[in-house]
Amino acid sequence: MMAAMQFQGIEARASRREALKQMGAGFGWLALSSLLAEEAAASGPLALRKPHFAPRAKRVIMLFMFGGPSHIDTFDPKPLLNRDSGKPLPFAKPRIISFPRRAGDLIGSPFAFKQHGQSGAYVSELFPHVAGIVDDLAIVRSMHCTNPRHGGAVLEWHTGSDTFIRPAMGSWLTYGLGSENQNLPGYITICQALAEGGANNFGSAFLPAAHQGTPLGYGNVKAKEASFPFIGDGQRKRLQRLELDMLSDVSRRQLARSGPDPEL
Amino acid sequence: MAWRGTALGIAALAGLVPTSATAQDDAFFEKHVRPILANRCFACHGPHAGEGQAGLRLDSMAGILKGGHSGPAVVPGSAAQSLLIHAINHDTLLQMPPKSKLPLGEVAILTKWVDTGANWPEHKPASEPEAIARSDGFSAEERSHWAFQPLQAPAMPPGNTAIDALLGIGHARAGLSPAGASGKRALIRRATLDLHGLLPTPDEVRAFLADASDDAFARVVDRLLASPRYGERWGRHWLDVARYSDSNGMDDNIVHGDAWRYRDYVIRAFNQDKPYDQFVREQLAGDILTDWSDANRAEGLIATGFLMLGPKMVGEDDPVKQKLDFADEQLATTARAFMALSIDCARCHDHKFDPIRSADYYSMLGIFTSTKTVLTYRVTSKLNATALASAEEDSRLSEIEKRFDYHNDFVTNYNRATTPKHVVEAQQAAEDDALAEYYSIPKAMAVAEGDAADLPLMISGNHLTPGPVAPRRFPAILAGEQRSPIGSRSSGRLELAQWLTAKDHPLTARVMVNRIWKWHFGEGVARTPDNFGKLGEPPDHPELLDWLALRFQESGWSVKAMHRLIMLSDAYQRSSRRTEGHAEADPDNRQFSHSNRRRMEAETLRDALLAVSDRLDLAAGGKTIPHKNFANLNAQSRSRDPALYDSRRRSVYLPVLRSALYEMFAAFDFASPSTSSGDRGATMVAPQALFMLNSDLVDEASGGFAARLAQHAPGDDAERIGLAHEIAFSRPSETQETESWNAFLDRYEAATGDRDAAWKAMCRILVASNEFLYIQ
Repeated sequence: MMAAMQFQGIEARASRREALKQMGAGFGWLALSSLLAEEAAASGPLALRKPHFAPRAKRVIMLFMFGGPSHIDTFDPKPLLNRDSGKPLPFAKPRIISFPRRAGDLIGSPFAFKQHGQSGAYVSELFPHVAGIVDDLAIVRSMHCTNPRHGGAVLEWHTGSDTFIRPAMGSWLTYGLGSENQNLPGYITICQALAEGGANNFGSAFLPAAHQGTPLGYGNVKAKEASFPFIGDGQRKRLQRLELDMLSDVSRRQLARSGPDPEL
Repeated sequence: MAWRGTALGIAALAGLVPTSATAQDDAFFEKHVRPILANRCFACHGPHAGEGQAGLRLDSMAGILKGGHSGPAVVPGSAAQSLLIHAINHDTLLQMPPKSKLPLGEVAILTKWVDTGANWPEHKPASEPEAIARSDGFSAEERSHWAFQPLQAPAMPPGNTAIDALLGIGHARAGLSPAGASGKRALIRRATLDLHGLLPTPDEVRAFLADASDDAFARVVDRLLASPRYGERWGRHWLDVARYSDSNGMDDNIVHGDAWRYRDYVIRAFNQDKPYDQFVREQLAGDILTDWSDANRAEGLIATGFLMLGPKMVGEDDPVKQKLDFADEQLATTARAFMALSIDCARCHDHKFDPIRSADYYSMLGIFTSTKTVLTYRVTSKLNATALASAEEDSRLSEIEKRFDYHNDFVTNYNRATTPKHVVEAQQAAEDDALAEYYSIPKAMAVAEGDAADLPLMISGNHLTPGPVAPRRFPAILAGEQRSPIGSRSSGRLELAQWLTAKDHPLTARVMVNRIWKWHFGEGVARTPDNFGKLGEPPDHPELLDWLALRFQESGWSVKAMHRLIMLSDAYQRSSRRTEGHAEADPDNRQFSHSNRRRMEAETLRDALLAVSDRLDLAAGGKTIPHKNFANLNAQSRSRDPALYDSRRRSVYLPVLRSALYEMFAAFDFASPSTSSGDRGATMVAPQALFMLNSDLVDEASGGFAARLAQHAPGDDAERIGLAHEIAFSRPSETQETESWNAFLDRYEAATGDRDAAWKAMCRILVASNEFLYIQ
């Protein structure tokens, strides 16, 4: 879909040959990508779109802390649970339960909670420093999840569904808002785990592929070693210049021979 | 059958039920009342509770009015006289639910429901048709949708071939003069890339140029179709549609250790020109079509891998929902692959755009829930398999599977607090033993017949709110409202396969010939090959589509016959050079008045890179993913192991992993292996340019290509440059080009002091150029 829209835009304005002429010597393919990106800025899938309300946020950074400590040990004290720790469930077991043979008694949190800041938000003793800035945080304690298993829950968190292949939240954001920057992807995912939903956690599902997260490294890759695919190491810069100039010549000759085509 | 009984009970009780229920009342019931009853009451008084606790069932109006040991539960119109309402208020001795009171809001809803007459949508007076029958009414627009009409032979205008005659109608109408014929070099290159996904060799090009006979191209097509390379290319097209994958994806990326047999089956089917109707039947019901005395038994079993390959949320805790989800995926893929319909949209409500009712969905879904796909539905459920050698071996396999499944379930789910260590170890050892035996048996990923049963329509797609039963049968818009149910003797897969491949089915042949056309031309006659519904695009040339579909059936559903028909038309052989006016009159080339230039697909590009450097290994078939069934690729990032792709075999044989697709495939628009797709995208994005400049694959290909040139044209630079062009572009180099390359080689050598590096750089540029990457 992205390609189709871009090509139509190009076609309406200029043939490929004219486009390349306008670019001067250019460097063929890469230059074309940039041209297409400009085209996309106006009409493509990542074109900037106006939201219904003036936004204050410039960007969204989501840290998904897989395997992080539980809410009941951090920001969501459960006094009754602590009171009844060690007792059997006070109500009938849910109809569906993970590992039914393991289901045991109630367990409260071993950590002490105190209220902090002007908001009076609860923070456990695990996070003394976070407690000091608690008025700068918005803490949501009303989330729940229908799937108690890791994979299903992670998928549900990222996409809203554990049953169907659905777009990730980042895909919806770039779909709804576009991106101010046409040179870089609007939605990047850094060192995503490949387990527990894998690529579906940053996939665009039925939205155009341009809205899927661009992975930078994968889980188990150290942050310093994370890179975009095929980015190269810059060692061959000077020689690549020679190669790109020649590639540009080759492309020009071919265009002269075969005529302009929006598919190129 | 309990649901049948309920339906029959309605008429007798009709007099007691208010008859003036409106759609609004029905909506109130479905949205508010039924979910409360299902969530709060059904565990003891619902469809799975036998006669119900205290003899009370609350899942039908008949049950409610009959009541339990204490008498009728509800007096419609009077909450004050209704036992149910007193019970949920906990204001009498009878307190329900027993342990905790319902939230006040839910009490209010049930009170209002009873006071306003206790409408129960399935309970209508006999004079009104029941819910399912009522929903069958289709509008004239729905009935006249193009894709549901019978195939019609068009009147044939004159033309070189029937295809050209039918396309000529559009050319005349649009005032377009089609492009002339391609040059022979471009034509053999196009045909070879198209049918084999490989470049023609310089010798093949020369032989075609030298053949001046009228049927020279027809013989090229025949040669290409007779080669095993053909199935590797066209089988791969089908594998997109079959969402082929060597792993599950989703939450646990479990290896499909035997999926390769299905992949090889598909490749064989194309190479053998297996009639498409048989191909369809085998994939849906190969296990039923054959028995153990049949020589095609293994083939039939392996073919049903089509139904097994889908992504499955194996971590789903609810076994009922898991079963419905797995069947949903099978139904969605089947409908999309063979009929280009999105039947799965009707899981939660009637289809918003197409005349597919929710009842149609559950009628079809019952076919797949009556099919055995996994050993047992549980957390980390295991896929079914069938031994290939004999009935005896398969019985042995079933016994091993049972043991394995039992011990695996134990080891996965035991109580860690109370189970002694030695018990767990013994279970683990027993699981390992079973697994070792399991691995020793050659087997197919195959479905089997399960317990045949109809499903109830699930209100709002929720299996906790079952509605009236939906007998297994085919969608009314296609099969007619008088269609008969499949009955209880089999799952219905065989009936489904036969219905799909009957000559009067309006979709199966149309959908496949449109796919074939699209894979040849880059665009279909109808441009949405996976959606022939209302939201899809109607065909630009409906007469052509019908003519092709009829010819397809008449040829015995021969795919190769379709290739010959299409490739010998003028339309296929046209130049890709547009003549004046094309861009203005028909910018999308809907009239096929010239050839579409297309970028090589991911597999073609990789194969071509291996081929130019003379390193392509043409070994065919066999297992290529090193892992076995049940291995989880999430562990140790095994799914990102580069060794998986360290192979010089054709790309069709590389492992395809969901959630961790090979990076080169991902960069070049490989089809998502999670959903059926006959419509790969073609994006132009920076990673593609970066791949050509920086990847190891291109680096090795350039080096190998340069070495090949040095070996075959050791002396003369001009000869070497010419050979490079013949290999990469299927044409010799022009004088001016040769001069330009000579100058480049000198510049590069001056910069590096290395003439070999300069040759390698030339090779890199040739394979990165549009002339190499684009099919003219």
